Amino acid sequence: MTSLPLKSSYKKPHKAGIGRFFVLAALLIVLLVVLLPFAIVIINAFKTPEDYATYGPLSWPTAWSIDGIVEFWQRVDYSQKLLNSLLISASVAVIGVLLSLLNAFALGIGRIKGRIWLLILFMVANTLPQESLVYPLYYLSKEFDLYNTRFVVILIFSVIQSAFGTYLLSSVFSTFPKEMLEAAMLDGCNKLQLLFKIIVPVSRPTLAVLFTFFFIWTWNEFFLPLILLISNDRQTVPIAVGVLQGQRNMEATLSSASALLGILPCFIFFLIFQRTLTKGIAAGSVK
Amino acid sequence: MSTSKSTFRLSFMLLLVLLTSILAACGSESATTAPSGSTTTSNEPRTIKLWHYEGANSAMGIAWAESIKQFQAANPGVTIQFEEKGFEQIRQTAGMVLNSNETPDILEYNKGNATAGLLSTQGLLTDLSDVATQRGWDKLLSSSLQTTARYDDKGVMGAGKWFGVPNYAEYVMVYYNKDMFAKANLQVPTTFAEFEAVMDAFVKQGVTPLSVGGAEYPAQQIFYELVLSKANREFVNAFQLYQGDVDFRGPEFTYGAEKMAEWVSKGYISKDATGIKAEDMGVAFTNGTFPIMISGSWWYGRFSDEIKGFEWGTFLFPGNTLHPGSSGNIWAVPTNAKNKDLVYDFIDITMSQEIQTLLGNSGGVPVNADVSKITNDKNKELIQNFDAISKADGLAFYPDWPAPGYYDILVANIQELIDGTKTPSEMLDAIAIPYQEHRATLGK
Repeated sequence: MTSLPLKSSYKKPHKAGIGRFFVLAALLIVLLVVLLPFAIVIINAFKTPEDYATYGPLSWPTAWSIDGIVEFWQRVDYSQKLLNSLLISASVAVIGVLLSLLNAFALGIGRIKGRIWLLILFMVANTLPQESLVYPLYYLSKEFDLYNTRFVVILIFSVIQSAFGTYLLSSVFSTFPKEMLEAAMLDGCNKLQLLFKIIVPVSRPTLAVLFTFFFIWTWNEFFLPLILLISNDRQTVPIAVGVLQGQRNMEATLSSASALLGILPCFIFFLIFQRTLTKGIAAGSVK
Repeated sequence: MSTSKSTFRLSFMLLLVLLTSILAACGSESATTAPSGSTTTSNEPRTIKLWHYEGANSAMGIAWAESIKQFQAANPGVTIQFEEKGFEQIRQTAGMVLNSNETPDILEYNKGNATAGLLSTQGLLTDLSDVATQRGWDKLLSSSLQTTARYDDKGVMGAGKWFGVPNYAEYVMVYYNKDMFAKANLQVPTTFAEFEAVMDAFVKQGVTPLSVGGAEYPAQQIFYELVLSKANREFVNAFQLYQGDVDFRGPEFTYGAEKMAEWVSKGYISKDATGIKAEDMGVAFTNGTFPIMISGSWWYGRFSDEIKGFEWGTFLFPGNTLHPGSSGNIWAVPTNAKNKDLVYDFIDITMSQEIQTLLGNSGGVPVNADVSKITNDKNKELIQNFDAISKADGLAFYPDWPAPGYYDILVANIQELIDGTKTPSEMLDAIAIPYQEHRATLGK
């Protein structure tokens, strides 16, 4: 008798109404807190400087103006910056994933000797602050005549990102079902086929997640590209946003416009790849 | 499943193609940059790489754009390749860029011991002493403006070789809201006592008179103004250029710190000012919340554009002959620069009276303008006030200059002075220690 009403309450969870309401309310408040800075950026991006000066940062724009956005776009040649960022981030994402895949194949599936030490090495490399790498990277890139080229930035970030990727993929691959590998080997697979015909398709969701993260992380990099890319026509979006920071003055509306333009591409990219992200996190390996 | 697999494979292939084309492009990129590093002959078209970080609408931005135009007209075979940089970008990367063959041929650089001074000791900047005398720049610039152009072998400014050429100037003054003054029936003060009386009158009406940004540079400039009201040139030279001893418990500093605390207790400065940034200070003055703001000429152009709701004006800090201020940032020529002769021609154009007058008409403080050709009355006032300071040898530089990291020390201690956690003498002791330590390391 007592078990019956319990069962029915499981089936109709909306009966536990009050608690759910509070959780929802709390989540909404957190959401508002998170979105507020973005809202302020958007409001100020569409204000005129006079409007901002008279009514301050928190007021609603008296008239919506896209002058700030247009001015910023032209002043820094934003199309070129977008192209550079896209080039660098996409290349890093592809090369980074490839490198991680090959490394992890050796470490996670091949289980080569000393792999624990290698993994520790990758993890340490991962925790190195970029500031400590600046001078070695600067002198090396000068030595190889690669200073002030997009290529050197791609090279460096491919390696940096793949350090994390190797670490993550290796642990994913070490749990790869043995039966599947053995079956494939019995069917006459060689190692290359094993990697590209069996492992890559099965771990595709994980690779997609890595690709997305590498892209977004590289896109948002500021410090190393600032040091390594000297010419304006080779610089990336975050550096372009930094151009507006004056010594004593800041142009608040223009800065907001640049911030908006700076996050927008990443936001769009995230929207597009959002589904691969959720899929990748939920994916199991054996189907 | 098979369709999504093939689209995945397709997109992967596409990315690979994109990648190889990028790599090819990058390869050609480094190939094309190589020849520009080689020697230039007279037949070859010559290019000058120019960097600065002034906004296109600022007085300097306008004047220098015109200089580029004039230079190109005079030198048809030469192109000036201008790149706008961020202040932070040049500050963080200059040392590395100037040490490579990607260096610009001329750049605007931050004056001071920790910036231009440091690079000069590393041999990265060209010694301009001979050029400065040949072209007469040494005669155009008064001795207090030359201070930031010359650095000794330890990178300390004030004397030694020329490593930069200042093209404009800046100084701290008092901005006031004419409408609020008129409404309160107040006159522009001419003495320090009158200035305090004006602020008293505002306090009685329930208005905090001073807009102050205590979280950044403005508060320390007010403190320094007060110190300077009891100081002379010898004190400034001792404090800034290490020519003589500085006593932080002496009459100048003691007066400044006590007066600042008094201004807070009398309500001239709000205790809330400790959390206000410079930008917010400016905005609060622009929208008429405060009648008075003490800050630098760098606000001038912006106020001209943005203050619409009331009339405003400026006056020099009453009673002072010494004022915080200095030359603006400097033109520097990297040691690795090419085409140095052309670069000197360009600097010459920016120093010409015509360009300097344009700079003045655009709201900047020129160093060599024809004041009779300044059309706007407000701009004229700005320049004439500067000329008055300059003639009296009254530029006293900024309080954070003498020691590295001193800016943050001053901000923190003046915040504590304003909110009352430190007494004036405690605050003075706290700012004395890092200063004396730095002088000890210099052996001066």
